[in-house]
Amino acid sequence: MYRARKTGLIKKIMRIKGMGAALTAFAGLVVIYVAFGIMNPMVFSGQNILNLLRSMSKYLLIGIGQSYVMITGNIDLSIGSVAGMSAMMTATLMTLGVNPLLAMLITMAVCLTIGFINGVLVGRFKLPPFIATLGTMFIARGAAYIVNGNRNTDNIGVVLGKDAADSFQNFFYYGKILGLFNTFWIAFVIFLVFYFFLSKTRTGRHIYAIGSNVEAAKLSGVDVVKTTVKTYLISEFCGAVVGFILCAQAGMGNMEAGNVYEMYGVAAGVIGGVSPLGGSGILLGTFAGAAVWQTLENGLNMIGAQVGIQRIVIGVMVVAAVLVSVIRNRKD
Amino acid sequence: MMGEVIVSMEHISKSFPGVRALDDVSFELRSGEVMALLGENGAGKSTLMKILSGVYEKDGGTIRIMGREYENLNPKQALDAGVAIIHQELNMCKDLNVSENMFLGREHINGIVLDNAEMENTARKYLDELGVDIDPLETVGSLPVSKQQMIEIAKALSVNAKILIMDEPTSALSSREIKELFSIIQRLKSQGCGIVYISHRLEELAHITDRVTIMRDGRYITSGDFDSFTMDEIIANMVGREIKEKFPRIKCTRGKKVFEVRGLNAGRSVRDVSFSLHEGEIVGFAGLMGAGRTETTRAIFGVDKKESGTIILDDKEVRIENPMDAIRAGIVLAPEDRKKDGLCTKLTIRENVALPNLDMICGRDGVINRKKETQMCEEAIRNLSIKTPGIDIDAGSLSGGNQQKVVVGKWLARKSRVVIFDEPTRGIDVGAKVEIYHIMNRLKEQGIAVMFISSEMPEVMGIADRIIVMCDGRITGELDAETATQNEILKYATQFESRL
Repeated sequence: MYRARKTGLIKKIMRIKGMGAALTAFAGLVVIYVAFGIMNPMVFSGQNILNLLRSMSKYLLIGIGQSYVMITGNIDLSIGSVAGMSAMMTATLMTLGVNPLLAMLITMAVCLTIGFINGVLVGRFKLPPFIATLGTMFIARGAAYIVNGNRNTDNIGVVLGKDAADSFQNFFYYGKILGLFNTFWIAFVIFLVFYFFLSKTRTGRHIYAIGSNVEAAKLSGVDVVKTTVKTYLISEFCGAVVGFILCAQAGMGNMEAGNVYEMYGVAAGVIGGVSPLGGSGILLGTFAGAAVWQTLENGLNMIGAQVGIQRIVIGVMVVAAVLVSVIRNRKD
Repeated sequence: MMGEVIVSMEHISKSFPGVRALDDVSFELRSGEVMALLGENGAGKSTLMKILSGVYEKDGGTIRIMGREYENLNPKQALDAGVAIIHQELNMCKDLNVSENMFLGREHINGIVLDNAEMENTARKYLDELGVDIDPLETVGSLPVSKQQMIEIAKALSVNAKILIMDEPTSALSSREIKELFSIIQRLKSQGCGIVYISHRLEELAHITDRVTIMRDGRYITSGDFDSFTMDEIIANMVGREIKEKFPRIKCTRGKKVFEVRGLNAGRSVRDVSFSLHEGEIVGFAGLMGAGRTETTRAIFGVDKKESGTIILDDKEVRIENPMDAIRAGIVLAPEDRKKDGLCTKLTIRENVALPNLDMICGRDGVINRKKETQMCEEAIRNLSIKTPGIDIDAGSLSGGNQQKVVVGKWLARKSRVVIFDEPTRGIDVGAKVEIYHIMNRLKEQGIAVMFISSEMPEVMGIADRIIVMCDGRITGELDAETATQNEILKYATQFESRL
């Protein structure tokens, strides 16, 4: 007979699947951060911490979307281009004098349509997700080019006026609440909501089940198509929000905004223990992964490493993280 | 004692591409009884139960559950109708924990939040009822198969099924667990559940069975009270009458020993397997599904890891760590699932035949000599009379029989000493089967040792010279094919280690 073990809070937390990998990533984060701080004490400065938290927010959001998709065993290559399309579309609409809120709503609707298409292609028509989302990646990027006639937009305030533009930019990028940049708060709230959704709701459970064994899930009555569509809707929702942030940051629409972000999302998830094969990983890991990623980028910058070196270090990190998880799984 | 009819399936038929799996089968289940569904491999038992549980759609016939007629069921509807099935091949999400698996697709929620504590407690309650020591929070993938099996059973209990189908439920259980399972079955019976019990372990049936239904080759044969049959009658009904087909057996004198396996162990499915193959004979390997025959070939061929054991070829010990070692030594395998393991179906016949022989047709520079390649392929097509418009068409577009010949053709280009055929005639038509027999006979004449695995008893008895029977990973008997009877083979094939 199984006797319930007396479990303390710590033990209970450690029993959450994926917690080990997530905490490992946090430990790595601390090591990396301190190491860079020793090389350049400016890394520890309050201003730098604020900037770090703000810039990691974009990677965190992309990482959340990508993690949802990866946990079902799929991938979303289109999310970076969706972010670009979102930035260009909101900016273009605002330069035409459309109210920022309405511009964002329209843009969001278009982004979610891409998510719906991704979900149907992968879930219903069983297209390999790599191919389906490669297609929508090009489509979204193409749309980003076309929407303002193949050029970047003017400043978003040209028609709306400086006040409206400022309030948009402050809301998403330059403003602060309780000493932290709004960007971080937005990402953090979205993180909490989706953390809850993935770990506490029925749909969240089904997402793990599909990634673990799609056949068993189907035989248990899980609606695989609907669940797959939901993951892509969430992914493109995150992409859209990142687009708003990019637009607010630049004060205009840039056609190349969000370029290769989809891969940053994969990296954030994978570093935090989200298996690209599906079935495991938690968003807390993605949070750590996004922070590791941003700290590396920031730290390498602060110690004056060239961009090339940065890329190489980051590449090694990603492969190492997956290698460690593969070896760990083999031992089990 | 006799309950009312809760399931009635009439005139059920079902075809898969190229196979008629069920032909006008009728089946009936009453409340409060254990119905044993018996038959050989491929008799259609699992297919019939998969239709009842909504996994497959029937082609024709009627299904009534609790008096209500269902046109076609999906798994969820079947579950709602009270039908729960424990599949033979376990279907679980290995990354999820026990409780999550038990409640998958019918999670308990509180508002929109999963009520994990409640599900865990319920899971624990059902596991305790089964008397198994499993933590509901344990990840399923980290549990042994026997425990996973118990979880499936607990899951079926937790849905309050009125009709419970168990497909080989005891194959992975220990004797204590089997006893627990049987007492659960008794309890469910007394609560009015109807239980369909599929098992090859005939010795178990006496403990629990009320009635039996016997199937053969996708057809209903007979049914009745268990007590009204003797074991011999049951076996006779399962295997059917005399063999009708003709098999082209040829006589050769048995020559010297070519190949020997001593004390081979590889997991639970290959346990202390020893046998030898001689020149001029075909050795048939009979047994039920899961007897460990395919696993034995995989261990010999170096696909799966061997725990211990020696392999001797022409009186010399050979070390085989991977398939390349085996091929170099002259041991080749035509695997069971030709679409999955035997052929690259998207490559051409040319590429398939050449693949394991590239060492012979490549120059020193590693460039494929196209002339030699063409020659090799054309020879294979001629020798095996593969029906194809040419060598540059996709192997996947050929008929099953011709695909099988391509698999064999891959190997005949080499001078092999041992050729292993694993179910070479599965799913191919009668004419092609005979051609495969001729190919095996030709190898036999050439003094090549032939190991022939088949689950169809008539062909093993008709083609092989000697029959080795396996059960549960062990060799349980060896028979002379000329004098062997189906009943004898089946007796050895069901010689499970007694665990009761």
